[in-house]
Amino acid sequence: VNQPSGGSLDPQGPVAETIANLWWVMLALGAAIFLLVVVLLGVGLFRERKSAESESEAGERPFRSWLVGGGIVLPVVALVIVLVATIIAMRDVGTGAPSGALRVEIVGHQWWWEIRYPDEGITTANELHIPVGRPIALQVTSGDVIHSFWVPRLAGKIDLLPEETNTLVMEANEPGEHRSECAEFCGLQHAQMALIVVAEPADRFASWVSDQRRPAAEPADVTAELGAQLVVDGDCASCHAIRGTSADGNAGPDLTHFASRPTIGAGAVRNTSANLARWIENPHAIKDGVKMPAPELSDEQFDAVLAYLEMLE
Amino acid sequence: MTTRQRPPLPGMQTPTVVEPPSGKELDALFADPPGLWGQLTGVQNDRIGTRLLLTGFFFLLLGGSFDSVVMRLQLAVAENSLVSPQLYNELFTNHGSVTMFLVILPIFEGFAILVLPLLLGTRELPFPRLGAFSYWTFLFGGLLYYSSTLFELVPDAGWFAYTPLSGPEFSPDLALDFWVLGLGVAEVGAIAAAFELIIGILKMRAPGMTLSRMPLFAWAILVMSFMILFAFTPLIIGSLLLELDRGFGMRFFDPERGGSSLLWQHLFWIFGHPEVYIQFVPATGVVSMILPVFTRRRIVGHTWLVAALVAIGFLSFGLWAHHMFTVGLSPLILSFFAAASMAIAIPAGVQIFAWLGTIWSGRPVWRTPFLFVVGFLFVFVLGGITGVMVASPPFDMQAHDSHFVVGHLHYVLIGGVAFPIFAGVYYWFPKFTGKMLDERLGKWNFWLLFLGVNVTFFPMHIVGLMGMPRRVYTYDADVGWGIYNLISTIGVLCLIVPGIGVFVWNVVRSVRRGERAGPNPWGAGTLEWAVPSPPAQHGWTILPIVHGRDPLWDQDELHRGTPRMEQFVRSLAEWPLRWRAGVIVGTADARPQEVFRIAKPSIWPLFAAGAVLVIFLAELLKLRWGIAVGLGVLVAAVIGWNWPEEPPMTVEEEAAFERAHHVPVNAGGSVVVAAWATGIAILFFTIAFGSLLLSYFYLRLENPQWPPGGVADPEFTIAAIAAVLVVAAVAALRGALRRLGASEQRGFVRGLVITLALAVAGTIVQFIDVTGMTFGVGTHAYGSIFHTLSGFLLLLTGGAVVTLVMVLWWTVRGLYTVRRYATVRNVARVYTSVAVMWVIGFATLYLGPYLT
Repeated sequence: VNQPSGGSLDPQGPVAETIANLWWVMLALGAAIFLLVVVLLGVGLFRERKSAESESEAGERPFRSWLVGGGIVLPVVALVIVLVATIIAMRDVGTGAPSGALRVEIVGHQWWWEIRYPDEGITTANELHIPVGRPIALQVTSGDVIHSFWVPRLAGKIDLLPEETNTLVMEANEPGEHRSECAEFCGLQHAQMALIVVAEPADRFASWVSDQRRPAAEPADVTAELGAQLVVDGDCASCHAIRGTSADGNAGPDLTHFASRPTIGAGAVRNTSANLARWIENPHAIKDGVKMPAPELSDEQFDAVLAYLEMLE
Repeated sequence: MTTRQRPPLPGMQTPTVVEPPSGKELDALFADPPGLWGQLTGVQNDRIGTRLLLTGFFFLLLGGSFDSVVMRLQLAVAENSLVSPQLYNELFTNHGSVTMFLVILPIFEGFAILVLPLLLGTRELPFPRLGAFSYWTFLFGGLLYYSSTLFELVPDAGWFAYTPLSGPEFSPDLALDFWVLGLGVAEVGAIAAAFELIIGILKMRAPGMTLSRMPLFAWAILVMSFMILFAFTPLIIGSLLLELDRGFGMRFFDPERGGSSLLWQHLFWIFGHPEVYIQFVPATGVVSMILPVFTRRRIVGHTWLVAALVAIGFLSFGLWAHHMFTVGLSPLILSFFAAASMAIAIPAGVQIFAWLGTIWSGRPVWRTPFLFVVGFLFVFVLGGITGVMVASPPFDMQAHDSHFVVGHLHYVLIGGVAFPIFAGVYYWFPKFTGKMLDERLGKWNFWLLFLGVNVTFFPMHIVGLMGMPRRVYTYDADVGWGIYNLISTIGVLCLIVPGIGVFVWNVVRSVRRGERAGPNPWGAGTLEWAVPSPPAQHGWTILPIVHGRDPLWDQDELHRGTPRMEQFVRSLAEWPLRWRAGVIVGTADARPQEVFRIAKPSIWPLFAAGAVLVIFLAELLKLRWGIAVGLGVLVAAVIGWNWPEEPPMTVEEEAAFERAHHVPVNAGGSVVVAAWATGIAILFFTIAFGSLLLSYFYLRLENPQWPPGGVADPEFTIAAIAAVLVVAAVAALRGALRRLGASEQRGFVRGLVITLALAVAGTIVQFIDVTGMTFGVGTHAYGSIFHTLSGFLLLLTGGAVVTLVMVLWWTVRGLYTVRRYATVRNVARVYTSVAVMWVIGFATLYLGPYLT
């Protein structure tokens, strides 16, 4: 997930490719203009001057062509090229959902992502699974402040506003994992609001969907049983939902298949046993200011909650 | 280091300036009182300008440098824990807010107030007291803003303070109030300075300095000042609405109650984008002053450069939405703002090529100011090119809010603005201190900063394209961003910080033992270099008479002109020596129009600025009675400030000068300047009113149901009656003015009384109707905008009524005569424009719901 990558310059889908191509066109043009200016500046500064050469009162006239040519014609030509390239790119970077697109709703929260697949009936958090080769229509909105969704390798960004729903279309060419970080400053933990995008072949996506549609796993042993009781009947359920149980809070992420997710705390740490234990003990030690309070649990209860959460595959 | 005085640069000589003995008397006349009292009451332009510059640089060291060093240290390596997320958010909020509001703007206003009177060939600016007020409000605003640190309530929502994050729900403590209100005080100061500079540039220039001969720095400051007026006013209105949400439970930005978070973004960026050009435009003015001097050649394309400045001023207001390309605007709007944003590259291109042409045709003189100008060209062009890139919406969807933009904006602001500031300091320092800054340190200063800027900010473009967002206090170790961030940090620590250090050392050292500077150490061609360094308090004893764009290069004598003009400027050197005389000239032709008395030092500007501080502080502390106290002090201070003084000389003496020189004398105060100030004040209120109307229609369009359910459509009979009364008062006032013109004092008083009765009756009727409304301010944005807009109109009318009462009072005391009643005319203009706003505003409020 976190390998170094070229980000927007390493496009993995048609939308990001269009934007990257636009960038290379603009870079080439910009570099040429910059070079021209630097050469003119350098020659102007360092050229040999004849000793007789002095300011003549008619000195302005030769530079009329500089002003017209460099000041007007050059920018106009460059801008027309950029504008045409921009408008061509804008046709591909549309906001209208093409037919056959997979609909996904994303709701931004301080500081995590709620992900819903309305046609599949799935709700998850901080992970976005998408099938390769199929356009995805992301319908994004916010539950609190403004956030912004951005997967550089797949598409540009789109803001999540509290007052309306925006649409972003993207598509992945190849299977792969991509990281998305919130791109609009949204408060204390703006830096720790990440999302993992998993692009996978259609059949693997389909099996992921069917896994996700299942209700939560039943506790398999006594410890997990106790854990389930603590989570479902305790404070956890006032914020978290676990399908198949009575826990139906909606202030925090849905935990039905929590153990199958790659990270804890919206990308703050990897989802390992050790990290989960640290998180449950005190989430603020990992992500200061997160809305989840540290639960008060005895050692035995702590182990039980951990056991239950780890089996929510 | 030798202390020998360097000769002026070759090929240039400075024409002699005649200094008659009366110069000493004028110097004393224009000086501020000595001691602490002088510090508090002082209005002299050198003092105000220097203060603005020094305070701006102080805030630069505090908020520009310190914050950025800590932020860069935190980001130097991945997953660093040097600072907490809270502190990091406070640092970048502070860094942006301070540099955008408290550093660059006051520095350029300082340059302008310091340099313009000498450059334009005048003794003072038209409103020295307004200049002092502008400084005090800026200082108080800055201190109020920074005092948040003492209470550990530091603003943390970014310099853009997007709602709803900055609203009452998500930022409930007082931190954001420090942001809104502290910076609000400083914004008042910016607008005050704009008044002073606009009128100063247009109406107070040396005889003969026509608009076409006016130096480019003055043009740039003129454009900047108009832009301040048009940009800061919507910001003040936006800030007012945000504070009403935060402090009074209104709903402008609350989407659940009919408000809109995007309304804030529109209001903020209508200010915020022009703000960038408000900083850039004066910087180009500095560049255009320095280039000709250090290439030994007149600037190429003077007229083109003027046109480019004006074009940038206009265009900059048409492209604010390019900061909002990712909020979900329609493709049509995106294309419009993309094209508008790119179009600004055309006037910028004209500027670049005019400067290149100047360099090309001249002979470079490699002194520090010139180095900074060359550095400016290099860095700014790069920033401009990335600027065109981010104006392309699809690309901006990648670059927006990433480190690419951080790189871009620092190239523009450091290359495009900070380098010209340094160039300007090196250039003008000798004029105002009489000492040269050290050249060797200057070159170190330049090369450290030039390399530093590129090492620090170039890698940010790359890491931004790789996906690093802005405003993050940490990043994962394995995403590959570490090396770029480390290079940036090294650039700041090893190059920029030492560069700033060298600069500070150079200034401190040179003030104490710098090389002495003669009047014109650079061999420059503009007027400020004709007078001694440092200049006398009054600048010019005999005003120069200007015949070209570079008077010192064009003229052998600075006081030669037509016999009548020569006699005029020589007479003004000897008369009057009892009061501070300034000359008003025709806007375009620069012929003397009026000799008027410039205001003396006064304690009232300090009181007025203190009152503004009290008003904002009271709101911050939620001590609402304090607002009333502050308003009371403000009204008292403004009345004291403008209290008519005994005419310093008799009408006969004035008339004698008029007969001799054919230029009217107004020792009581300028008629022309007062009329201009009235016009600009009306413009200011109109822009504020326009911003509120825009907010109304934005909210109206966002809400299909308007008014919201449960609120009846407004009943407009009573409002119509009120409007008729308010408009009838205009007719009565016009009638009264005619009586005054016909010298019928009693008829005039009667007319004024009728005017007042009608205006007060209309205001009361409307007030009763508004207070009887069934909806409050806090249930829906409809009520918020309804009551805010009507409150604005009622307050404005109330203010106009107060000035009418003052006029009535002074009339009864016999102050106005047929010959002198300019004040009455100005008050009538204000009232008339208020009545027009009243009709448009209340028509909108009462009829808006019927529009479908």
